[in-house]
Amino acid sequence: MSLSPIDEAALTEGPQAPGDAVPEAAAKEFVGRSPGQLAWARLRRDRTAMISGVTVVLFLVIALAAPLIERLYGVGPYQQFQGQLDGAGMPLGYAGGISGEHWFGLEPQLGRDIFIRLVYGIRTSLLIAFVAAVITAGTGVVLGVVAGYLGGWVDAVIGWIIDFTLALPYLIFALAVVPTAALRFYGPRDNPPDWFKMTVIIGIFAAFGWTATARLVRGQVISLREREFVEAARASGAGLLHMAFRQLLPNIWAPILVSFSLALPAYITSEAALSFLGVGMVDPTPDFGAMIFKSIDFMQTDPAYLFFPGVAIFVLVFAFNLFGDALRDALDPKSSR
Amino acid sequence: MPGATKGGTFTILRETQISHLDPQRVYSFAGLMAAPLYARYLTTWKDDGKGKLTLVGDLAETPGTNVNNDCKVWEFKIKDGLKFEDGRPITSKEIAYGIARSFNPDLTGGPTYIQEWLADTAQYDTAWNFKANKGSLPPGLTTPDDKTLRFEFKKAHCDLPFAASLPATAPLPPDKDTGVNVDNQPFASGPYKITKLTPGVEVVLERNDQWDPKTDPVRHQYPDKFVWSFGTTPDAQANRMIADNGPDQSAVAFNTVPASLISRVLGDAALKSRSLLSPTPSANRLTINTQRVTDLKVRQALNYAIDRDGLIKALGGEAVASPLTTLLPPATLGYEKSDVYPAGPNGNPDKAKELLGGKEVPLVLAVRDDDLNQRLGTQLKNNLEKAGFKITVKTTPADSYLDDVKSKNNAWDIYLDSWAADWPSGAAVLPVLFDGRGIKAAGNSNTSYMNNDAINAEFDRVLAMDPAAQAPEWAKLDKKIMEEVAPAVPLYVDVSFNLYGSKAGGLFIESIFGNVSFVNAYAKQ
Repeated sequence: MSLSPIDEAALTEGPQAPGDAVPEAAAKEFVGRSPGQLAWARLRRDRTAMISGVTVVLFLVIALAAPLIERLYGVGPYQQFQGQLDGAGMPLGYAGGISGEHWFGLEPQLGRDIFIRLVYGIRTSLLIAFVAAVITAGTGVVLGVVAGYLGGWVDAVIGWIIDFTLALPYLIFALAVVPTAALRFYGPRDNPPDWFKMTVIIGIFAAFGWTATARLVRGQVISLREREFVEAARASGAGLLHMAFRQLLPNIWAPILVSFSLALPAYITSEAALSFLGVGMVDPTPDFGAMIFKSIDFMQTDPAYLFFPGVAIFVLVFAFNLFGDALRDALDPKSSR
Repeated sequence: MPGATKGGTFTILRETQISHLDPQRVYSFAGLMAAPLYARYLTTWKDDGKGKLTLVGDLAETPGTNVNNDCKVWEFKIKDGLKFEDGRPITSKEIAYGIARSFNPDLTGGPTYIQEWLADTAQYDTAWNFKANKGSLPPGLTTPDDKTLRFEFKKAHCDLPFAASLPATAPLPPDKDTGVNVDNQPFASGPYKITKLTPGVEVVLERNDQWDPKTDPVRHQYPDKFVWSFGTTPDAQANRMIADNGPDQSAVAFNTVPASLISRVLGDAALKSRSLLSPTPSANRLTINTQRVTDLKVRQALNYAIDRDGLIKALGGEAVASPLTTLLPPATLGYEKSDVYPAGPNGNPDKAKELLGGKEVPLVLAVRDDDLNQRLGTQLKNNLEKAGFKITVKTTPADSYLDDVKSKNNAWDIYLDSWAADWPSGAAVLPVLFDGRGIKAAGNSNTSYMNNDAINAEFDRVLAMDPAAQAPEWAKLDKKIMEEVAPAVPLYVDVSFNLYGSKAGGLFIESIFGNVSFVNAYAKQ
């Protein structure tokens, strides 16, 4: 993947223990292996990484295959089964109305199927979180590399923009922008469609989320730019684009991947929080966050309603975090533990 | 009250504080339930809690005399032996002063019926300036002697005895009028007086020894103290009542049981025996904007399509709402149950489709952007789309929703609306909601914007009748409006469901405003 060797300084984030300078795998064997292969080998040996990785992939597959699951399951996310609710609007039967027909039971009051709403909720949440994380990582990387490599006034200007963005209160901004955007594009008789709300939420996450990655990348690039291989490339007459994206970027993939994998679960929970405040995805769109915040009220009377979405978001966020940690360990063994 | 015991402290838990305690400004449900403890009115309702209501004289001996039988001149004879908390006698002068001070533009928030009727205009505070005429009384209000209060109106107002049952007719001596500060220290004429008030935290009421039970047809003086305690969420209130510990044993949760805890309370016989469950007169309807939905068949189809059973489940079940098929709530005097569009509890989508003639009718349903109303939006959309409508659910900010709905040219076809009348007469519901002659640019109660000459003429005819003869006429008119105009889909009346502690007694859901009444409350000793 990279022509230049993985350099010690390029990966150093945490405190470095004195004397801990020899990478175990590379020291014993003399087979030529790229840093990517080394990292993959480390990842393969890490059981936590494999389990959390498989879980993450499973969630991605569920999200992508939601319409297929709906067809196999035979129940849609908007269908109501109020005939199976009692007089107080609570599901009949045990554990929130779990049955062969409704695997995770029914929502109280509206009587929709929890399983299929959960499947579609994962789709909504992951789509928003994934797109937002990709956009923020992309913006952050480009601006960080440019600022770090060029330095001088470019660095200063980008630094000011970062400071300015960090100073804006994200939540208040979201509360103000979401309804205004809907009013601007849709008249008093239209409700904005789901894709519009998703775009606005992703836009807000993108506008506020890139700063951390940008700063991280900028720091990494500054520590690299006076290295010999950079000097050599510069002496050979490489242009800005080649320097930035062929020489510097490949050496800082590790922190970028780690920050990406940790940003994703953060966006899942932020999106859930926005739904709770009424500016995110709202009923009837199936959404993880909205579902959990609604089910909290029923903790005493219908714990099953809270249990399934709660466990699902817990497992999803936990798996992403563990996988992010494991990825960092694999890419940067020196900083671990 | 059989079984009532004296003494002890009775606690009332509520989420937010009472907006006003000044009787002339009391208009919120909590205020209306608190005021009888410390204030007495010209007339009041004797209520057995089971729907039997009688209007009786409170400070007055009778609920008013219609002097010329034209509803324009009314006289009230004041009882003997009435005293304020400092021992001064209550005469017609103090009652008249109480009514006069409700013209003060600083004292906002209270009902405005009597002021508007006396001044014969909605701008009553400019028609008679209270501050410039402090020593006198508003036009039409006189006190021929200490025991007589006389109202003379330019137009007939047969509802005066009802309007006089609101706390705004409580007496106040002029020297105790501290303007807006009366809110902090109302001058008591009822069985209790306010001894401590911490805004946002609590109001403590202790016995008023000047109150004479012989003069009072409804109030009692059982507990030593009443304490209104604020700041507890409905969830926490219900959980405290369920736990039933210490002082909470002689307490009541003023806020109703939250929908999420209802099945727990209903499923537990011991808890259920400590609850009050009663429909209230607060009627909810799906208003149809007749300016936009001009086809009567579409409006009738909506009435056939509605799934009240499903809607009530979405609200939280039978302990939250009870189905309604009339414009008037069942608590109205002379109520007759009718269902002009019988379609069963789950609606009749086929009948609705038939009326629509196979067309798909697009409608915009406006709902508030809070959790409950969005849920109702989802429910109604799914329900009505089964019957051949195409519903766009437009969520709008909850704080501007009412202003928008009450604007004549709002952009929506159907919306949720509710009405709780100030007294249980059809006169306080139908003409207010469906008389089209008063439609303004904004601030309308007639949110259907219907203006039907034949119906308007009927309103005039019934309003001119003797109050007792009006009751059956309103029930007939209710049916007629539903048949000929169908300006709304009646949905449900709110149900009040409150929990109380094991040592609380004498509580009932009051029939006028549908909240817990404290006039008979006692703490078991």
